[in-house]
Amino acid sequence: MQSFTYVIRDPLGLHARPAGLLVKAAAGYASAVTVATPSGKADAKRIMAVMRLAAKQGMELTVTCEGPDEEAACAGLKAFLAENL
Amino acid sequence: MGFFDKLLGKSGDVLCAPVAGTAVAIGEVNDPTFSQEILGKGMAIRPKEGKVVAPCDAKVDIMFETGHAVSLVADCGAEILIHVGLDTVNLKGKHYTVHAENGQKVKKGDLLMEFDLDAVAAEGYDTITPVVICNSGDYASVEAVTGKEVALGDPILTLKKK
Repeated sequence: MQSFTYVIRDPLGLHARPAGLLVKAAAGYASAVTVATPSGKADAKRIMAVMRLAAKQGMELTVTCEGPDEEAACAGLKAFLAENL
Repeated sequence: MGFFDKLLGKSGDVLCAPVAGTAVAIGEVNDPTFSQEILGKGMAIRPKEGKVVAPCDAKVDIMFETGHAVSLVADCGAEILIHVGLDTVNLKGKHYTVHAENGQKVKKGDLLMEFDLDAVAAEGYDTITPVVICNSGDYASVEAVTGKEVALGDPILTLKKK
């Protein structure tokens, strides 16, 4: 299991578009991926679950990857978040 | 739909138009998040009035604070996102009025939100309203009605389980 944290910079937070893109990025890995805020946790491969987090700018996300490609998943998602959120 | 499908009750779950207007294919939405089905399969409606109602019996999952979008979990299991206009998150709630709250049980046709169609358009936003099934992967097919005028409650999507 590997995890990392990321603080949201997008002033609009994790709204529909970044949520959709995050799910698409997470779905590219075999590992189970969860994304958590201080108040909740979601399967990063389910759009509704990710949107339900209603993560806002300044909030810290903890992304956890567990599975055969967890290292690549963490690296890939870290780069994705830095670029998109 | 064939006779045997009907006989076996495999006609699928039907969702109805949450807004009145012109039904179009999701690929016609000028936003890749929707047209490339990143959020799921579905269709879109070019609204002719600013009223959004429940497309089926469901529970409101997330009523976005800004009133520009709502997600619902249908009693049939479909996870539905109704997104009123493109990039309208930027309006931060202006021109939108919310009429339902998170966790509320709604019946088909119940009012979810209202918006000022002309004002949203006047601010330069495309008011097209995608209706997408976020758990499309759970279905064998998501069939959309497109290319015609739909009234509130007219069928727009048929979902067939795998």
